[in-house]
Amino acid sequence: MKPSVLRFLAVLPLLLLAACGDDGAGGKRRIAVIPKGTTHEFWKSIHAGANKAGAELGVEIIWKGPQKEDDRDDQIKVVEDFISRGVDGIVVAPLDDKALAPPLSDAVREGIPVVICDSGVEWDGHVSFVATDNYRGGVLAAERLGTLLGGNGKVVMLRYQEGSASTMAREAGFLATVTGKFPGIDVVSSNQYGGATTESSYKRGEALLTAFPGVEGIFCPNESTTFGMLRALQDAGRAGKVRFVGFDSSEKLMQALGSGELDGLVLQNPFLMGELSVRVLVDHLEGRSVERRIDTGARVATRENMDEPDVKALLAPDLSAWLK
Amino acid sequence: MMAAAKQTAGEARRGRRARRVLALLGPFLGLLLVVGLFSLLAPESFLSAYNFKTVATQTVIVGLGAVGMTFVIVSGGIDLSVGSVIALASVVTALLLRDGRAPVLAVLAGVCTAGLCGLVNGLLITRLRIVPFIVTLGMLGMARGFAKYLAGEQKIDAPAYWLADLMTKSPQPGWLLVAPGVWGMFLLALFMGLVLRATVLGTHAFAIGSNEDTARLCGVPVAQNKVVIYALCGLFAGLAGVMQFGRLTVGDPTTAIGKELDIIAAVVIGGGSLAGGEGSILGAMIGAFLMSFLANGCNLTGVPNYVQEIIIGAIIVAAVAVDRLRHR
Repeated sequence: MKPSVLRFLAVLPLLLLAACGDDGAGGKRRIAVIPKGTTHEFWKSIHAGANKAGAELGVEIIWKGPQKEDDRDDQIKVVEDFISRGVDGIVVAPLDDKALAPPLSDAVREGIPVVICDSGVEWDGHVSFVATDNYRGGVLAAERLGTLLGGNGKVVMLRYQEGSASTMAREAGFLATVTGKFPGIDVVSSNQYGGATTESSYKRGEALLTAFPGVEGIFCPNESTTFGMLRALQDAGRAGKVRFVGFDSSEKLMQALGSGELDGLVLQNPFLMGELSVRVLVDHLEGRSVERRIDTGARVATRENMDEPDVKALLAPDLSAWLK
Repeated sequence: MMAAAKQTAGEARRGRRARRVLALLGPFLGLLLVVGLFSLLAPESFLSAYNFKTVATQTVIVGLGAVGMTFVIVSGGIDLSVGSVIALASVVTALLLRDGRAPVLAVLAGVCTAGLCGLVNGLLITRLRIVPFIVTLGMLGMARGFAKYLAGEQKIDAPAYWLADLMTKSPQPGWLLVAPGVWGMFLLALFMGLVLRATVLGTHAFAIGSNEDTARLCGVPVAQNKVVIYALCGLFAGLAGVMQFGRLTVGDPTTAIGKELDIIAAVVIGGGSLAGGEGSILGAMIGAFLMSFLANGCNLTGVPNYVQEIIIGAIIVAAVAVDRLRHR
């Protein structure tokens, strides 16, 4: 028993040391950036943006997501461990608007400033809140769809999920604009929820298309509802015939935009979100005053403008320069 | 002749005690090693009172679950439903709090719901003679689905009252040092450790786990004991669920997914054998803390998540491998 135990014990520290890499970064400031998960494209863009700011400002960026994707408790653990570690600042995209408040208060009590990015939290101890103005994103979508329809027609909005603050703001912005600015447009359905997955949105989309055969315009407030609805339209042979505006981007949605099955995609700027979150935190650490709310903007990608460099950078960002 | 028999009996007892100590030696050394290693790698942050408080609080949920799970594993069973039951208990507690019920009542309801899940597990296993793996796998789905149904497929915001204080790192009064939930876990672990070592229930659990047929022939009420053991495991999952609510301050039906595997790992790292008949509460506690310190240390030193997962996986296999060698 003994030799094998010892062998195992001997290997363990090597493994850990190897994994640690170049952690001892001298006198550099260390800023922890905590996303909701680590595998989605959106978070990779935020990571790249944070790395860019880190490299330009000479601060070390420590990127660490919850061990389990989208697990509230795991994200709390990550925040707690960064408090123990004594980093100089924390940037966090909270998985929950309530559950993250207590550990973030702990951070501030321990003298660690916090910048909130992407999603809000019911807590006012933050230095700044850096996120898309989602209501404005919904307004942009409504303007695009309303113009395409010439201000007339039957419109369906497939909602995402109850309790999701960012998409609810997009839905509110869309509804207010489409009914306020385009009196000729009739919103025939706006009370259906696509749910968390593409599959559930697909089914809900099919049901809506069956229930409202005369629909001329559709809006979906995020990637999964947009893609689910796109699949339903394709299945029904109506893709390209119905005016369709979605939110966020992916490989498949880009193709659909190019082929005319989608008429617009409202795009956020996660790269800028990551970059500005770090910049604003460093500004605060260096004693400069900062804005409490920073909007990182949204714009509509269309078939016409999708090859312009700045739209392309949002549709399919090249992150390789900032992610090793 | 008599003297010889008495002597061998004494030797056997001494041997058993020696083996028990030896069984705890491995995990304990592992724990010391992990703590020692990270103390060297990150002396300032890892070796602080604040960090130890943090780790202790982070261990409560797995620790409480592991207390109940130890009984199940000692008796030769397994309970895969614990993670889902934790979520269900946290949802039930949150629902009652949202409806304005007294916190005590909400906690009681959460814990009892979880206990009921355990009871159902035990009854299905003994009455229908289905292996625990399948019954609790079924309960894993049912409890999770039921939690989502009750919560309307979203998290429940509820006033947390003193439940949030159970898991706070700055407890009142200050002489408590660690969160009340941590004390609760230690006291319950101590108590259940005694139950496992020194009561009829504990002895029966070991007897059933060692050899169920022999135990039955010796007059041990196997079915009855199993029902009690699974219900107990459910109750502890319920307590863990209440702590989970205290920590999140929202009732989250998607919380603790996969937590049952962490809990089983804690028991196994602590010397529990999935073949039954072996395991201890102290060992399970050591196992739970070992995993917590490892995760915490990895976060403090900047080890990426995937390395952490690989290491924990390796430790589980290594712990069982060491256990095998000890048996040879």
